Amino acid sequence: MGPEAVSAATEVAAGAVSAGAVSAVSAASSLPPTGLALVLAKVSWFIVVPGFYIALAFALVALVWRLVVIFRAPPPPFQLAIYPAPRSAFGAAMRDAFGMPQVRRKDPVFWVFLMVFHIGLFGIFFGHVDILPQVSLVREGSRDMIGAGVFGLMVTVPVFWFIGRRFKSPVREISTPGDYILLLLLLFTFLLGDLMSWGNSWTAQGFVMTKADFATYFDGLLKFKFEDPRVYLHGTHYHFLTLHLLLAEATLMVLPFTKVMHAFLSLPVNVVRRRVWT
Amino acid sequence: MDLMTRRGFALSADTVASGGAGSSELSARLKVLFETKLNAAMRMYLDTCARCGICVESCHVYASMPETRYSAVGRAEVVRKIFRRYFKVQGRFAPWLGEVLEFDDDTVRRLYDAAYSCTGCRRCMVHCPFGIDTQQIMGIAKALLLGADQEPKILSMLSDMSVTKGETIVDTRDAFAQALGNLEGEVLALWPKVTKRADGSPNAAIPYGQQGARVLYVALSGSHSMVNAAAIMNAARESWTISSFEAVNFAAFVGDSAKMKLIAARIVNEAKALGVAEVAIVECGTAYRVMRHMMGPQPFKVVAFVELIARYVKEGRIRLDDSLLEGDVTYHDPCQIARNGGIYEEPREVLRAVTPRFVELTPNRAENWCCGGGGGLISMGEMDFRMKSSKVKAEQIAASGAKVITTACENCHSQLVDLNEHYGLGLKVEFLSAIVAKALIS
Ligand code: SF4
Ligand code: SF4
Repeated sequence: MGPEAVSAATEVAAGAVSAGAVSAVSAASSLPPTGLALVLAKVSWFIVVPGFYIALAFALVALVWRLVVIFRAPPPPFQLAIYPAPRSAFGAAMRDAFGMPQVRRKDPVFWVFLMVFHIGLFGIFFGHVDILPQVSLVREGSRDMIGAGVFGLMVTVPVFWFIGRRFKSPVREISTPGDYILLLLLLFTFLLGDLMSWGNSWTAQGFVMTKADFATYFDGLLKFKFEDPRVYLHGTHYHFLTLHLLLAEATLMVLPFTKVMHAFLSLPVNVVRRRVWT
Repeated sequence: MDLMTRRGFALSADTVASGGAGSSELSARLKVLFETKLNAAMRMYLDTCARCGICVESCHVYASMPETRYSAVGRAEVVRKIFRRYFKVQGRFAPWLGEVLEFDDDTVRRLYDAAYSCTGCRRCMVHCPFGIDTQQIMGIAKALLLGADQEPKILSMLSDMSVTKGETIVDTRDAFAQALGNLEGEVLALWPKVTKRADGSPNAAIPYGQQGARVLYVALSGSHSMVNAAAIMNAARESWTISSFEAVNFAAFVGDSAKMKLIAARIVNEAKALGVAEVAIVECGTAYRVMRHMMGPQPFKVVAFVELIARYVKEGRIRLDDSLLEGDVTYHDPCQIARNGGIYEEPREVLRAVTPRFVELTPNRAENWCCGGGGGLISMGEMDFRMKSSKVKAEQIAASGAKVITTACENCHSQLVDLNEHYGLGLKVEFLSAIVAKALIS
């Protein structure tokens, strides 16, 4: 445990004591859980530790398999470009994939939400990476995740808007149940994530589960310790963490089978549109 | 009412839902057929669509008849739902998630409705953030319809006739040469001089079978496609010869890639045998795209005839009278030549040489609205659907204020003539080659 983690843990311990240690009861309880509580504790542990490995491994294998199937398929028999031909097909495809100029021109409001959403996704990815004690992307000892909850909002608010948009014509008519479910899955994953990065600090003492606590949990995952993070992740919001993990794992596992594949295919499919070779 | 019903088509007895061994056999066959179309690009097209709806209003059919099934994504979803059913894990475990479709009569109807209301203009592809090619996806729909024996019979008949005609070319060569001779007067009326052969002797007005000619010109069956071009090439003193084959490729419309290649390959072989440097394709968008972009690299260059005219104008090989056309003159970019073929500037250069009053349609170039006649719709008749689905095109033309609309595609020309009449636009509809041929001066 690094010095910043130690000091953060000390702060939390002090906070827990001054708050009457009520919220930390279950974590610090000296009585081992029995009966249903034991089952729930085991389920919870399964979700936050082995479940994470299973979901990640499954998603990676499925993703690689999907990409192999796609890219080992024969190439298109003839050119599928649209003219005018750009100077660099790859450059144009990069602009298409990351700047979405087509959306900007057709529906600027949608474009703003999409850009905010996708930048937010990068933000929360790095926010999670930064929690690892081995990584320090922000000021050492910072109590907040990168963006201090802003990246969470950057993904959550657009998802609300995307859902609203999907309910309206003409997008409503082209939507399938899977489209709504995927958005709802993302929405609840993000909302629960917001609770961790933001709502979790709305106490007189600040963060209940601190960045240092999460760092210990992440470190345990990284080192395959299989310990129960409940020992150091305090407070009743722990159950929201479990739920956050559960939904995030579900999202990870379905990603390779959904249209979210566009995250990996947007660039190559845009190259097809831009590459003039005959 | 879907197009299939409205067009009076009844599903044949051998349909997928007819029960018995035949139906499951047919389903299995269609699945295999589907699989043959799953190249890497197609897999990406089928997997990437976010159903964002950006392409919905890009389609002229939807813009004219706002129904979801007439949007690009609405059409593609029919194919995608079959894809999910037969090729995705989701189709096995949670088919309701993607509202999958089985191969049955209703699906066949939907495929027909989707495929034969799409002109393959690819305007939607310009607007899609991923560049999803709905024309290609409709290629699957067309292939499945062929497999189910439910394609528009007129298209497969025309395609078969084209193949047969090519097979009997040796027997009909003399008759063709004689027919070309009959057009001599019309050509000479536009340009009285003929080109010279290699030995210095005068050539025919429409040279045929000239070994070593520089250009092989591939026409259509209509004489207008030969006469105007002949006058222009003769005026430019081009070394050229006409092809034995028609450029039109009905197999491309009906989604039969094997026959499409067969039809085009005969022209390729002829060009190789004659040793030409260039193959110039008549004003026909699909024929140009097939030959230029779908047949792979060739020992000769493929150009659209309008490129050749533009070159003659630029090099001063032809001179044109720019006072013949009255009022503003506009140009309709044929989708297969412009957006899908890359020819934007050449027709404009030609037009500026024949009129000082060239005006653009808005939008134009890659954004131009499709005329609504492509994808085989002209050959299928479909007057009612073509007129309704191209309302937005008629409005675009009317807004230009032009008195003459020109184009460089046979299908577009026919459709524009029909639109002009149906919507009372009061324009003159002209081929570029026709106005150039009339404007030739020595
Ligand atoms: S614009 Fe592209 S991604 Fe969006 S719905 Fe249309 S085809 Fe799908
Ligand atoms: S290719 Fe053209 S006709 Fe077909 S869906 Fe796209 S815009 Fe519509």
